Amino acid sequence: MSETQVIDPQKIITVISAALADVLKRDPDSITETTRLFDDLGLDSTSVLELLMRLEDEIGVEFDTDTLEQRHFESVATLADYVAEQA
Amino acid sequence: MQNFLSRVKTALTGAADTPLVFLGNFEVEDQWADGEAGLPRTAFRSSAAVVNRMDEFAMLLAGADDLVVLKAAPDEAYLAHLGELGVALPRLLTVARNNPEQTVTKDALADPALLTTLGELAGRGAMLSPHGTSVLEEELAERSGLPLATPSAAVCKAVNSKIYSRRVADETGLRQAAGWTADTLDELESAVEEARSLLVFGRRVVVKDAFGVSGKGIAVIENEQRLDRLHTMIQRQAAKSGDNRVSLLIEEWVDKVADLNYQFTVARDGSVHFDFVKEAITEGGVHKGHRIPARLDQRQTGEVEKAARVLGERLAEDGFHGVVGVDAMVDPDGQLYPVIEINARNNMSTYQVRMQETFVAEGQIVLARQYPLRLTGRLPYERLRRVLDGLLLSGPGGSGLLVNNFATVNAGASEERDRSFDGRLYGLLLAEDQDRLTALDAEIAGRLAAETEGSVR
Repeated sequence: MSETQVIDPQKIITVISAALADVLKRDPDSITETTRLFDDLGLDSTSVLELLMRLEDEIGVEFDTDTLEQRHFESVATLADYVAEQA
Repeated sequence: MQNFLSRVKTALTGAADTPLVFLGNFEVEDQWADGEAGLPRTAFRSSAAVVNRMDEFAMLLAGADDLVVLKAAPDEAYLAHLGELGVALPRLLTVARNNPEQTVTKDALADPALLTTLGELAGRGAMLSPHGTSVLEEELAERSGLPLATPSAAVCKAVNSKIYSRRVADETGLRQAAGWTADTLDELESAVEEARSLLVFGRRVVVKDAFGVSGKGIAVIENEQRLDRLHTMIQRQAAKSGDNRVSLLIEEWVDKVADLNYQFTVARDGSVHFDFVKEAITEGGVHKGHRIPARLDQRQTGEVEKAARVLGERLAEDGFHGVVGVDAMVDPDGQLYPVIEINARNNMSTYQVRMQETFVAEGQIVLARQYPLRLTGRLPYERLRRVLDGLLLSGPGGSGLLVNNFATVNAGASEERDRSFDGRLYGLLLAEDQDRLTALDAEIAGRLAAETEGSVR
């Protein structure tokens, strides 16, 4: 990470939800912190990459995909925790 | 006329009666991609357990004199039903331990007794016929002593690269989307600049892994910001590994009205036989099935057959023999793009041919279909048979569903109680016309949905 920044956790949730809605063509209002990415939204390997690109652009984080694990994609909240750790 | 299986055996081994040991190592691309730098990848796959159980497809490709290595024994009621339908089944060899996260090849390699059995089969003239050949299948052949019916892993990998597909299309003058290949970061940089010129004009591009499974390992890019972002991610990954080699390509996105899949067989003597062309049904990039016959006009069919000949001859020159599937498409103006990618391995369609020969009557249409299921407990075949009573195929020339892989239904079942899992029911749906086919399909999806209380799409 080139610089350390503190991002409001609520903002991360909002950005992730909006990005998911856009990538997976869902209604943003239907996505909450507890929404499960694979089980509820049908996230797959192609949409994961698109999601990561958007989050890098919008939050200014840089992901190390080697450290990403399935558990980080359980729900919007778990992904938000991971993003906060990376930021 | 020689049937498909005999023809494949002749092409692969030089004789129509060579016993083959089939191995359904689906998504062999993962193995070919090993060590190749491409798009940023996450280290997990959501459906490995289901994909690995696609091995059961091989059971309906093999003939009565062949053998199939499976990760687990098939559902007894399923086997019994196939028997009632008159399907002559091959001899089944089951691995000692089915690890759901592993391909059948890896499970087989971990089973010394099976290796011995395979070695004994070599003495009776049998040969190993994998779905596609990577270093793992080569290792299985070496350790068991059962020779491969396919070319080496190196040849198979080389001709399955999407970079190879583009090069061959360029050299043989087959129509393809504008695009650029990259073996190094410098080449990627040039490709990114070329792609930029398309994005400026409002066109879209797609960045692909050279060894991605169809529909996966791609990123559709709509603007320069996203292209630069992806480029940065790839560079970062390369900087970390200290390797400047990549296996990527960038192509202009071409809209399509139909996806096609055609198959041909290249024999050891270099001769090429055109097998068939099917229309692929995809949803969100994921393969959902095939419609047979494809809705093509005579000119398009002629172009497909010509492309098959040209590609087959080139593959033979490059040392390949065996089954080849090619993805193609038709754009909104009716123009055929005859080579999107070459899959020099068995294809989903390959596993359907023997059943088509057995059950489909002249004039019937077939939909090779996949019904996604969300289950909360194992669904035995016996219960499925009751649920679909009256809708299952009862014999040659009839209409209805023939299940051609049942293992994928329960592959994701968990030991944990009350944990739901995803399964897939694969089948061939036969009917005398499109209306009847559509009605049957809807009725099956409806009954499955009612049974599983989930949504069957």
